Parts: sequence; structure tokens; C-alpha cells
Amino acid sequence: MSLWVDKHRPKDLMKLDYHKEQAVRLKNLVQQSDFPHLLIYGPSGAGKKTRVMCLLRELYGSGVERLRQETMNFTTPSNKKIEIMTVSSNYHIEVNPTDVGIHDRVVIMDLVKNVAQTHQIDSNGQREFKVVILNEVDDLTKDAQHALRRTMEKYVATCRLILIANSISRVIPAIRSRCLTISVPAPTESEIASVLQLVCKKECLSLSNDLALRIAKSADRNLRRALLMCEACKVQQYPFTPDQKVPEPDWQTFIRETASMILSEQSPKKLCEVRQKLYELIIHGIPTETIFSGLLKELVRNCDMTLKCQVASYAARYEHRMRLGNKPIFHLEAFVAKFMAIYKKFMEESLGDMF
Amino acid sequence: MLKKHKTWFEPLFDFDESEPPPQKLKSDVNKQGTSSPAKFSKSNTIKPMIFNIIDQNHIRNFDPVNINDLAIHNKKVQEVEDWILGNIKKNTSEMLLLTGPVGCGKSVTVLTIAKKHNVKITEWITPIDIEFPNDNGEFEFKVKQSTQFLDFILNAANFTSLLDNNDRKLVLVEDFPNTFMRTPSELVYVLQQYKQRAKSPIVFICSESSTDKKTTSGNLFSDQLKNQLNIHHISFNGVSTTGLRSALKRMAEIISKKYKSMYNAPTSDLIECVVNSSAGDVRSAVTNLHFACLKGTDQSLETSIITEKDQKTKTKKKKPNSKFTSIGKDQSINILHGVGRVLNPRVVVDVNGRSQFTHSPREIVEQFISQPSSFVNFIEENYMPHFSNSAQIDRAASTLSDAVFMLAEWREKVCQEYGLYCAVAGLMLANKDPVSAWNPVRGPKNMKITYPVPSELQLLEENYLYKGKTLVSDYQTFCKIINSNYD
Repeated sequence: MSLWVDKHRPKDLMKLDYHKEQAVRLKNLVQQSDFPHLLIYGPSGAGKKTRVMCLLRELYGSGVERLRQETMNFTTPSNKKIEIMTVSSNYHIEVNPTDVGIHDRVVIMDLVKNVAQTHQIDSNGQREFKVVILNEVDDLTKDAQHALRRTMEKYVATCRLILIANSISRVIPAIRSRCLTISVPAPTESEIASVLQLVCKKECLSLSNDLALRIAKSADRNLRRALLMCEACKVQQYPFTPDQKVPEPDWQTFIRETASMILSEQSPKKLCEVRQKLYELIIHGIPTETIFSGLLKELVRNCDMTLKCQVASYAARYEHRMRLGNKPIFHLEAFVAKFMAIYKKFMEESLGDMF
Repeated sequence: MLKKHKTWFEPLFDFDESEPPPQKLKSDVNKQGTSSPAKFSKSNTIKPMIFNIIDQNHIRNFDPVNINDLAIHNKKVQEVEDWILGNIKKNTSEMLLLTGPVGCGKSVTVLTIAKKHNVKITEWITPIDIEFPNDNGEFEFKVKQSTQFLDFILNAANFTSLLDNNDRKLVLVEDFPNTFMRTPSELVYVLQQYKQRAKSPIVFICSESSTDKKTTSGNLFSDQLKNQLNIHHISFNGVSTTGLRSALKRMAEIISKKYKSMYNAPTSDLIECVVNSSAGDVRSAVTNLHFACLKGTDQSLETSIITEKDQKTKTKKKKPNSKFTSIGKDQSINILHGVGRVLNPRVVVDVNGRSQFTHSPREIVEQFISQPSSFVNFIEENYMPHFSNSAQIDRAASTLSDAVFMLAEWREKVCQEYGLYCAVAGLMLANKDPVSAWNPVRGPKNMKITYPVPSELQLLEENYLYKGKTLVSDYQTFCKIINSNYD
């Protein structure tokens, strides 16, 4: 019993549901004997990993689907033992280097070295190289990215890297230029809706177009989330009704509550409470950019146009800083404080106008 | 003993000739008794107008004579005394570790107690270990430092000196051989040997500073070692102002009784100044008072006293605090005080009508420049309750954001300082009307992110690498819903 999102994941490049033209190109890419390092980027839930796995299957055959999980151990220069989970087949290995935080450099260097030094046992009819998949490359430390650049050149004969990122803005230019950069945009709402219809058909369920579109809308153009929502809808109520409740992720509810707290009162005391909420979100691992955009979306609901502009520009400013720095809470807090200040002023002025 | 004596370090500059170097295995606890009367008679015989320059160790004149003279808290003294008395007679090799900041009176406590109970103290002094080559250009073979040390403390502990036949012995180690700093494991071996073979208690004295925790005591005496060898640990605090004041008053009395020829009698204001400028260090306080009272100049140090008026103490009618500018220690403030100064900025108007902070941001920045990030983290955690107005807190939060943005650029040294300055000054200036309530300072939050473990969420593929972020933002909620309804 597995989730729909895993069960119905396409395994062949030709069976992908959207970005079909890109799929053809990818197929052509691996038809030649060699391919360059890849940097695949796009928003979460757009299908980056699915495409990578399809590509590997095209390259090595169904052998890549025999996966095993392994924990690898590394020693940092400061003699600290770290371990990291990897998933690998005979042809590739996949890892999230950001799992080890600031020690990601060691993982990247050692892992790629290990893989690159072992040649394929049977190179007849197989490719001469192995593939290393690195997730969340944009979250790597600068140190690790620089290490990666050196590693990419050194072991290009025996291994290829596939880097996966949400955005390439934080990937250093040196890496961007060494890779073939492929963008995987998020699917449109109608594309998501048609995928949902398709999956439901395979599960022998009937899904109305209205509900499919509603799920697609609330999933924020994230196909993974849409499929999970759809399945959750199904277990909550079947047969589907067009106006049934679509469950939303609980952190979304949490952010909405936080936003309404901010709107209810603008005072240092309230800010203290908001800070606790933000702490909670952060330590549970909600990506801070999601917190930012979620808050912004909720906060500007009651604002007039000029205020909206102001708030959005401040949000952009603090979010940009947050991405450059390493202490997200400072910038989140500064944004909330800023909003409180300008919102309070706005409210006072509009109250003044009324009399 | 003789052979050993040869290798001892001969001090190049010994101030006190009346005091035998302790390595002669001779008691030095009597020095007070012998030297003081001698000096007393000397100063009586000479003309009062001539300063007694020959009397070299002036400071020793003020050493405490009995336990009541000690500036240390009575209970601490009692604790040490109990330990010494409890172990001195038993012929056991018990161990005591005394730690505390410099100049808080650790050594003098032990010496005074020993004197009171007629205990003979033998102290280890690390010999110099580089010698000039002899005439043939050869170096003499040397015994390993740790062996030498062990021999010494064992001999000191087990053999009574023929000269005084006092079997109440105590071994004192304040000067640790530097080989132990390099390899603390050697000390473990030596101590184990001592434990088995020695018949007298031993006292170790380590000074530690507030800024650097990784000092001798922490390094050499690990908790494990302390447990294993049953080492009793007494830690001293800096001397309190009351203790310091009474010690200096006693010194003033001694001056007025015996040394009028050398010193001006210190006024109570002067004593207060010394107390303020010595930060709990009784040794430096005595030296400072000695310096401040010396006769020979017409100009008193009065001119170099700065007076800082404390607004808060107005109600309590305290005298303004004054401090020497030319002598005394720099007051080092800990991080909590620093945070307090930033979050409760106090403004005073000076003579020219300009308003000024009592603690200027620059002063605070200088104190914490070595640890900018942790200081800013502390401020960030604690600033909110001190603000009363949302416009001001907005300014504060945005300067903190600026500051942390600068601090993130760790490759540029200057950014660290600018960042810290920005945070400190920005916060102090933004807080126009601070809330004066009692807010305990809390440490910064641990912001370690804990992602859900894939095995906790059912229904996931077994051999698939899930990212922590997607687990939280997508899978977690829906897996729960799907799973609950399948059961």
C-alpha cells in the first residue's frame, strides 16, 4: 500500500504528462553516448526528481529501479563523525548533502571521490560513468559549492553529477556554467487537474472537473501536494462531491493564525507572541521563504493598494536579506515589526479620516 | 635532598630575602612572625623622615595575619579549614582543588589556615628546564619533569623535615609543571601514584579567568578525574566589595600604626576608589592602595579620579562611584550586564546641554567585539519586552536585521565590528522610552531544525530519498489524514 503520488509516478520519459517537448529533448540528450553535468531547477512539486529518474532509466535500463538505502559515514577535518543517508542503485547514488548542515563540503568531496574512483564492473554495453544526484544544491554552503566546482572537473571522466535545486539564484556562477541548466516549471492548474483525473481513473474513481480544479488551485501549483490532497479527500469522503472540503497542510493554517494575530493588535507584546509562533514554524522545518510568502499573502488582504505596495516591497527586501544571511528569524521579525508599524499608522490615519 | 637541590631553579629576583625559597623544604608560614617585628623595630629606630626603602617587600606588610583578617567570605574559609583539619591528622593522601579568579585570596587562605594550625606547607615551584651548556658544550641529562614532580611531592608528603620535626604536613601545588598542560594524562598517572603512596594531603590551586573557561582547572582536572581520585573541589568567587573594603580598612589601620613614615593615611574616599577600581581582586587592591598612599609627591591622585553619577542611586543616597583612571583593573563586564546596558539605555545631559548615554555604545562594542554574533543573539532574544511602542520596535528590529546581515559576512573583519555597532547603537537609539520592568535575560534559542523521520510517517516508499522540507510541507499533514482513515 503506497501513496498515489509514489504509485503513479511516471517511469518513462515518454509517459510524462506535461512538458512533453522537454521530455523529447531529454531523451535525445541521453541517446548520445555522453551527457554533461546537469543542473535541474524548478519549484517544489514540479517533477524534477521524476524527470531525473526517467532519464536514468533511459540511460541504464530498469536496473536503476533496484534501490537500496545505506548510511554512509564521514569524518570532518575536526574529527567529528557524521553520517548521512544515501539511496543508490548499481548505477547511481542520491544524497541530500544539506542534511549534515555545515559539514556538507566533506560529504560532497568524499562521496564524489568514492564514487568516481570505483569504475563500473561491467562496462560492456553500459555507460562508462556513474551518476551522483545531489538534492537541494541551492541550500549548500558557499564552501561546499566551491568544493563541488573543483570536484566536477576532476572526476568528469568517471562520474556525472545531476544537481537539483529550487532556484539557481543561490548557485554560484561557476557551477551554473559547468552544467547544462534545465528548468522544470511548475505545472499549470489545468495540467494538475488533468493529472488528477488521470490518476483517479487508474484508481477506478470518478473525479469531477470542478473538484479537480479546486484541489489544483489550493495546491499552489505543486503536483505532489495536489496528489496528496486528492488522496486525502478520497479517504475523507467518497464518492466525491464538487463542494467537499479540501484539507490543507497544517502549517498553512498555522501561518494564517499567526497573520491574524498580527492584524489583531500591533504592539511589542503581540510581537513577542508572534515571535514564538515563528520560532515554532522554523524549528519544525517549514522553509522560511514559504513562511514569508504565506504571511504576506494573508497580511495584505485588508490593505489598500498603496499599503500593499509598501508591504510587498518590504517583504521582498527582508526576504532577500534572509536568503543572503543565516539567521532567518531576525529578518522575519523585522518584517513583522515593520508591517505592524505601517499598518498601525494606516489604521490610525483611516480612523482619523472617518471623523 | 642535596642532589636535588642542585637542580632547583634559583630565582633571579627574589624580593623577600627574609623568606626562604619554599623548595628548601622549610616552612615559610612563619615569615609573617619573623619579618613583621623586625620591620617594626627597624622603622622605630630610624628617623621618621627617612623613607625606609631598604624594606623591600612593602606589600607583604599587609598580608593577613590571622583568619579574621581574610577578605574572603567566612564560609569559604571555614570550608577550607574544615577540610584541612579533617585530613591533616589522618595521614591520608586526600586531594583538594581550589579554583577562583585571580587575586581572590586562594593561596593566602591556605597559608593563613596552615599557620593558625601550625601545619607545615611545602610548595612545588617548577624548576627552569633549559640550562646553559657546560664548558664542553654539553647539556646535562635531565630527569623528566613529571618524574621530578612526583618525587618532590612524595618526598614532601612522606618525610618530615629534621629541622622542625613537625608531622602536620601539607603539600601545595600552584605552579603546575608545563608538561601537564601539554599532556594532561601524565598528571593522571602522577596523581594516582600520589594517592597510593603519599601520606599527606595535597592542595592544588588554579586561578581561572571569567573570559577563558578552558584554563588549568578545566583542562587538568576533568570531572572524571575528580570523581576517580575523590578530589574535593572548592571554588572561590571574586572578593565582595564589603570584604575588600574591610581588608583595605585593616590596611589603613596598619599604616596608621606602623608605617606613617612611608604612607599618607588613606581617606575613606580613597579606599572607596580602590575598591571600585579593583574588581574583586584583593591583591591588586592592596597594591593600588599602596601606590595611591605613598608619600613623596605633593600631588595626590585625586585629580585622576573620574566621577560617574548614577541616576538610579539617587534615591538610595549613595555616594557617587569613582574610579581611578591611571591605576586599577579595567572593569570587565559579562554578557548579561552588557545586554542590560543595551536594553535599558540611560541618557544623561552633560554640562553643555547635550544628552549622552551613561554607557556609550562604543564602550559596549569594545567589550564584546570578540564575540559579536553571540552578543547580538542575546540582544535579539531579549529586546522585545523593553520596548513600549511599535514604531520604535520596528526601528530596532530593522537595525537588528541590518546587523545580522553584516555579521553574516564573516570573511570581512570590519563587518563584524560594524554589525555589532549597528545592533548596539541602533537598539539604544531606537528605544526612546524603555519599559522599566524586571525582565530576566534569557539565552538565545536553539534553532536546530528537526525534520520528521520518514519511518515515522507510514505509507512512504521504503527506498526513496525524501527531502526534509517536502516531508514537512507536503507529506506530513496528508499522510496523517490518509493513514488515520485507512485504519
